[in-house]
Amino acid sequence: MFIARFLARRLLQGALIVFLVSAVIFTLLRVVPGDPVRLMAGGMAPEALIEQIAEEMGLRDPIYQQFGRYVWGIAQGDLGQSFVRPASGAAVGGASFDDNTRSERAQVWDLIAQAAPMTVQLALLAMVFALIVAVPIGVWGGLRPGRFPDKFALYISSIFVSLPNFWLGIVLALLLSVKLKLLPAIGYGGFAYTILPAIVLAVEIAPFIIRTLTVSVAAVMRETFIDIAAVRGLTRRQIILSHALRNSSVPLLNLLGVQFSMLLGGVLVVEFIFDYPGLGLLTINAVMQRDFPLIQGIAIVTAAAFVLINIVVDLCATAIDPRLEY
Amino acid sequence: MSTLDTPFDAAQPRDRKIAARIWSRAYATVDFKIGMVVFLTLALAAIFYPMVSGIDPTKMAVSSKLLPPVFMGEGWTWARPLGTDQLGRDMLSRSLVGLRYSLLIGISTTILMVAVGAMMGLFAGYFGGRIDTVLMRLTDAQLAIPMIILAITILGVSRPTIPSIIIVLGLSGWPIYARVMRSAVMSERKKEFVRGAMVLGATDLRIMFMLILPLVLPPIAFVAVLDIARMMIFESVLGFLGLGVQPPTPTFGNIIADGRKYLLNAWWIATVPGIFLVLTLTSINLMGASLERARNSIYGGA
Repeated sequence: MFIARFLARRLLQGALIVFLVSAVIFTLLRVVPGDPVRLMAGGMAPEALIEQIAEEMGLRDPIYQQFGRYVWGIAQGDLGQSFVRPASGAAVGGASFDDNTRSERAQVWDLIAQAAPMTVQLALLAMVFALIVAVPIGVWGGLRPGRFPDKFALYISSIFVSLPNFWLGIVLALLLSVKLKLLPAIGYGGFAYTILPAIVLAVEIAPFIIRTLTVSVAAVMRETFIDIAAVRGLTRRQIILSHALRNSSVPLLNLLGVQFSMLLGGVLVVEFIFDYPGLGLLTINAVMQRDFPLIQGIAIVTAAAFVLINIVVDLCATAIDPRLEY
Repeated sequence: MSTLDTPFDAAQPRDRKIAARIWSRAYATVDFKIGMVVFLTLALAAIFYPMVSGIDPTKMAVSSKLLPPVFMGEGWTWARPLGTDQLGRDMLSRSLVGLRYSLLIGISTTILMVAVGAMMGLFAGYFGGRIDTVLMRLTDAQLAIPMIILAITILGVSRPTIPSIIIVLGLSGWPIYARVMRSAVMSERKKEFVRGAMVLGATDLRIMFMLILPLVLPPIAFVAVLDIARMMIFESVLGFLGLGVQPPTPTFGNIIADGRKYLLNAWWIATVPGIFLVLTLTSINLMGASLERARNSIYGGA
């Protein structure tokens, strides 16, 4: 019952957030200079044709009308068609405006649905790598605040934070795939292609995990129930595993919710460097090509994912720590 | 009068201001000093080296192109300590000029971000009610759009210039500051010294800007040092994607993007500016982390 009320409230708030996001992006895209029709039809197309296409697509209507149509489409599960991308491999747009071989334009939803699993795979692997490195360092630092492990955690995270992802990506590609030929780097041709991008992404996430863990483990270890646990006869290993780690996993979960957008930002750049066919590469290409429906679609899907992840995070947090309220 | 003044004094029980205490506590740590020395060295080099050496970072010399850094490979000279790029431009000079732009954009973006966020948070926290609700929903929405998507969307479709980059990055980063500021202001405004000032007839603006702001801003501003580094990374990412300051002006982003094409025969073009960037960022992060720890330990009552 409580859960149902909680879900209803959060989903409603989430819908509002997604609506705001789409309104902001939609308006933004239409007030900035640059005509997408010109890009679609090509530089050689006559002005009259441009106007005709724009008219047909409703791009000359007032913004609120366009937005109304767009929202109506979303409500029916239709994110619209890409301006530029074809459904099949053939080109849409380009220099020749009267090219008859131009095929049907791709559905935004299909493009996102193709790219999203790739990104999820990358993000999950990166998360696994980050946790493997960061949890031991962070917990160790938190158990001995002010001493070497704590300092070590601070230095390591300061260095990791300072490595720009695109530069690290290039350097690692140079070392690991060009010089040592250990891992493939560019494009996608199997699971091995995910590893290098995931390492780069993990380096970006790890410092936040380390910092959160050192702080929260140190805080938990000062609690009285930790001292009492020792009196109760629990070994230090048991205390750390079942008391300290469990209590500090809540801030870690919250971090995941809050830093979601940072993770996505990293995904964007990393996918661009490694030419990895996920949502990030799709976004960058969409922006470069002024593919408005695609940009809007990605913004809405990521906003929705943000909302859902935060709801799941809160649910998990209450499951781990029943003292928390919905 | 004096009875009403005492609560105000009680807000600062010690004779030194919180800001000064945070500063001196951070300054006492080794990390902070290391960070500061490295940072100042790099900053001074960035300001003076291109001027003193007289090497123009955009001057091409095709005859001396793709020279490696000293002691690395063949054909290096002391005149080009970090080598040259594909057009014979001096890498050291280019990197340092890139550092200038990076610092300029990083620092001014952070100042803009903190200023906007602090104002928003101050008004939302002080007046509460409808302003507060609208503002908080707005920050929710903005947190849901990854900042970088917002930035590349705006910069991708309009022309990226230095002011436009500063504005876009600054405006997309303020929500977090608005939140922190709001909660700080909300807890301060219930205290006695604010009520006392109200009784004395101080206007809302006077209370906000003369009493609350000086109290809550410094701790937030110290932590903002960490964001200078974050913004410098963002700036270089934008440059790397071709959406930053445009060539021929050298920035870390566009030098590394160039260097990527020559990675196999001239690895130093992409790596050298990155090393400068990493050193600068590490020094800033070390300082920022010590400041953050000092602030936490003082607020934690240690």
